[in-house]
Amino acid sequence: MLMQLTLGGLSQGMIYALIALSLTVVYRSTTVVNFGHGDFVMAGAFLSYVLVVLAGVAFLPAAVLAMIAMFVLGVLFNRGLIRPVRGGPHIGLALMCIAAGYVLRGIARMVWGREVLPMPAVFDMQPIFLGNLVITGDAVFIIGTVLVLLLILFGLLAMTDLGKMIQAVYQSPRGARLIGLNVDRFNDFSWGIGAALGALGGILVAPVSLLHPDLGASFLIKGFAAMTLGGFGSLGGAVLGGVLLGLAEQYAGAYLDSALIEITAYVVIVAVLFIRPQGLFGRKAVVKV
Amino acid sequence: MKTFASLLAAFAVSASPLLAQDDAWETQGLTDDAITIGVMGPFSGNASSYSKALIGMMAYYDKVNAEGGVHGRQLVAVQEDTACDSAKGLAAAKKLISQDEVFMLQGNSCSGVAVALRPTIEEAGLPWIVAHAVSDSISDPLAANIFHGVPTGRANGRAMAQFVLSKPDTTNVAIIEHSNDWAHSYSNPARDYLEEQGVTPSLELTMERGQTDATAQVLKLRQEQPDFIIAALYEAETAIFLRDLKKYGMGDIPVMGTAGTDLENTLKRTGDFDTVKNYYVIHSYVDNLDGPLMQPWGDMIHEYYPEEELSTFSFVSIGSAEALVAALEAVGPELTRSKLMAALEEVRDFDTGILSDPITWTPEDHQGVKGSAVAGFVDGEPTVLKAWGQPY
Amino acid sequence: MSQTKMPSARQRRLRSWLFWAVPAVLLLLPLATNPYTQFIANGILISVLVTLGFTLVIGNLGQLAFANTAFFGIGAYASAILAAKLGVPWLLTIPLAGAFGALGGFLASSAALRGIRSYYLAIITLAFGELMRWAYLHAKPVTGGTDGMPMPRETLLGTSLSDDTLKFYIFLAVTVLLVKATLNLMRSRFGRAVMAVRENEVATASLAIPTARVILVTFMWSGFVVGCAGALFARHVGHVFPESFGMLHLIASFAMVLVGGLGSVLGAVLGAVLLTALPEYLRAFPGMEELFFGLIVAGVLVAMPMGLASLLRRVSPIFVERFYREAP
Repeated sequence: MLMQLTLGGLSQGMIYALIALSLTVVYRSTTVVNFGHGDFVMAGAFLSYVLVVLAGVAFLPAAVLAMIAMFVLGVLFNRGLIRPVRGGPHIGLALMCIAAGYVLRGIARMVWGREVLPMPAVFDMQPIFLGNLVITGDAVFIIGTVLVLLLILFGLLAMTDLGKMIQAVYQSPRGARLIGLNVDRFNDFSWGIGAALGALGGILVAPVSLLHPDLGASFLIKGFAAMTLGGFGSLGGAVLGGVLLGLAEQYAGAYLDSALIEITAYVVIVAVLFIRPQGLFGRKAVVKV
Repeated sequence: MKTFASLLAAFAVSASPLLAQDDAWETQGLTDDAITIGVMGPFSGNASSYSKALIGMMAYYDKVNAEGGVHGRQLVAVQEDTACDSAKGLAAAKKLISQDEVFMLQGNSCSGVAVALRPTIEEAGLPWIVAHAVSDSISDPLAANIFHGVPTGRANGRAMAQFVLSKPDTTNVAIIEHSNDWAHSYSNPARDYLEEQGVTPSLELTMERGQTDATAQVLKLRQEQPDFIIAALYEAETAIFLRDLKKYGMGDIPVMGTAGTDLENTLKRTGDFDTVKNYYVIHSYVDNLDGPLMQPWGDMIHEYYPEEELSTFSFVSIGSAEALVAALEAVGPELTRSKLMAALEEVRDFDTGILSDPITWTPEDHQGVKGSAVAGFVDGEPTVLKAWGQPY
Repeated sequence: MSQTKMPSARQRRLRSWLFWAVPAVLLLLPLATNPYTQFIANGILISVLVTLGFTLVIGNLGQLAFANTAFFGIGAYASAILAAKLGVPWLLTIPLAGAFGALGGFLASSAALRGIRSYYLAIITLAFGELMRWAYLHAKPVTGGTDGMPMPRETLLGTSLSDDTLKFYIFLAVTVLLVKATLNLMRSRFGRAVMAVRENEVATASLAIPTARVILVTFMWSGFVVGCAGALFARHVGHVFPESFGMLHLIASFAMVLVGGLGSVLGAVLGAVLLTALPEYLRAFPGMEELFFGLIVAGVLVAMPMGLASLLRRVSPIFVERFYREAP
């Protein structure tokens, strides 16, 4: 049972990791937390649904197209709606993100409001039985895809100057501008990547969760919990936090009470912030006065 | 201060109970060629898939209207959104009653909202046919103007538990549900019936809305190995739960679901017959959703709402709309609210041709539908059942 | 931007006259309403209090705490439990609910006082709200669980408390009282300390102002105001359900704060009026409320990042609030 829970937790955790990672990418380079991210996740899933089921595109190209579309949407969102309110109160940005999420959800509701749609399984594979342990196609597919993606992403960060640029923009946008970085374009790029990664989370989860306009609602808080656990702003921490949260949910649900799955993320947030506010890898979160 | 005092006096007068309901009140919302009916439902928000029920009901109004209406009057639906939220639902009810001044109300999907509405509507006194929400406390204790036109949670929950126990040698029953009033309105009566029969659920599990994985719950079930599982879960979570059950090798344990899901769409959502072959649902209808007896109703909905995807919700409110039309016919052209309510209380064993059980409203009991059938797959085909292995 | 002209002495007198004129005119409102519009008006008064309590913390104190829906739920449940289980008259439950709300504020401030700030505070207070909702759902013997808590029927001066007009006068009295008290508090020495903490906590502390106490008291006052609003809400709907205190409510009141104008009492009123009334107009478009709501909020944020109150400030210095700062 422990092994099975671990596997289930890993495959859920990979989705959380992806969502936490996409939130962190945006936060690191723009210091904005996208409070509407759940709906970006949902929008990615619906885009791929439209392409696969309604336009007959194969899954893989559809997923890539949906991610590109969400990249563009992320860039447009930054340019059209985030930039104009940057001069206002900082938390106006949080509300702007929520408002954008509402618009996305509103569109989905308008078109598919009364439906719960099935998304065809991508990776139809007979489950493998190892004794009592069942390994399903979904789990293999989700874990595999996210691992490959993480390798590429962290490889890029390690081998290029991208990581340093992100760090520079995060620490001081003005300083980054001084050394010749185009911060505006950099922010566009981060929003695009964040939206595309979030969309991928949606695309991966949709065959499991089914499609409905409220699909993304629960993912935002899981992303937050994963980020908090790993250390806010740490890319590696976001991934580890996501995986740990996935595992914690399964263990709490099976060994304690299934009613606790719902609040595992919240308990993690409260506990981490009170006990070790910097998370596993983050910098100090508390302010000393 | 003078204004304030006179105002207080004014409102004290206006607040005096409207017991002496006059002629104007009796025919409010009524003209020679129209009856306005307030239709409340969750047209937005995360329960909007329920509003299919009201779409089906309004399609029936359209059909009646196309055939000339009732005594020359058209049934005019005034839609209001409750978003499945009690404050928003109250606003909707007050708007319909005092601003749109509808003749009567029919509809409402969310039990919590309906329960919150009850005092307001009871006080207003106009007829309200509850056409979808199931909670018993909407119509019990009796309210003179509130009529329940679908099987209530008690009827459904008992039907679920009865079916579960009708399978020979069933002693170990597990329950999995959402932590919300909707799920409890099914599971609590089911629990009561099980207890009456000396069966205590062996395992109580929750799976909340929005959860995309049921591994932890299913593994607990695997340890317990129940004979039957009662699952009060919404559409998406039902599919996820059944899929995980099958995944972990327990596809052979029968699962009893609520009227919130149906076989055809659950099959579509899981995309795999093996996953749903042991799934049973409360099915308040005379036939499968795509069976010959239901076909005309589906066609009717599509005539007026061509894009509408049909689910079990689509049909649930039509029966009470038929009963309403029959009562309106019986009253004759000189319609009043009191006459309509009197006529509704005359409805006896009314066969709707769509609900599996007839509608009976008496002056003592306004919970019109007392039972529900069950549907399950028999030889690969969705089949309406009376009990385990017994076709309806 | 902070060159806004301050009101003259004459304008200040006009302003205080205006302050009392608004509720005086509102006394006549029930003559112009039907039960539906009266219900909406009552809902607006509740929103005003919720928004006011919220803006105190995120606007005036500058702490990103999203616990106001938790305060609201605590207040509503406190009122319902006291009234239904212990038979306390509902009117008396209002200040008691406020006290429980203040207790919630105390809990939320303990996070801030541990140095959990900015987005961390946002997230931990979000979690606080959701944990409270989970508690309402699962503490069935106390809260009624998923069935919620019905408010007992009660009469006041011979009139049923289900009467929306009677409720309006009570809600109006509570709202005016709390708005006035909040304004006085913010205009006092304490209010100046609140702004000082927002601007620079370290510098404020160095002036021997007890910043921790300032933060604590602001959170507790916010909790008190919103807790009272919760008691009003319990009577407004007549039945308290856990679902009423979720994320949707939080987002709606967050939008009210910013659309009205962050940290402005006038803004809290304007935002609450606009965004409580607006969804009623959107009823004409079933299924499209979310879309319109999103578009309108985004539009207001782009067109006037400082909210509706900034519009009025431009019209006349009467509407300039003391110590209000235009810059973010």
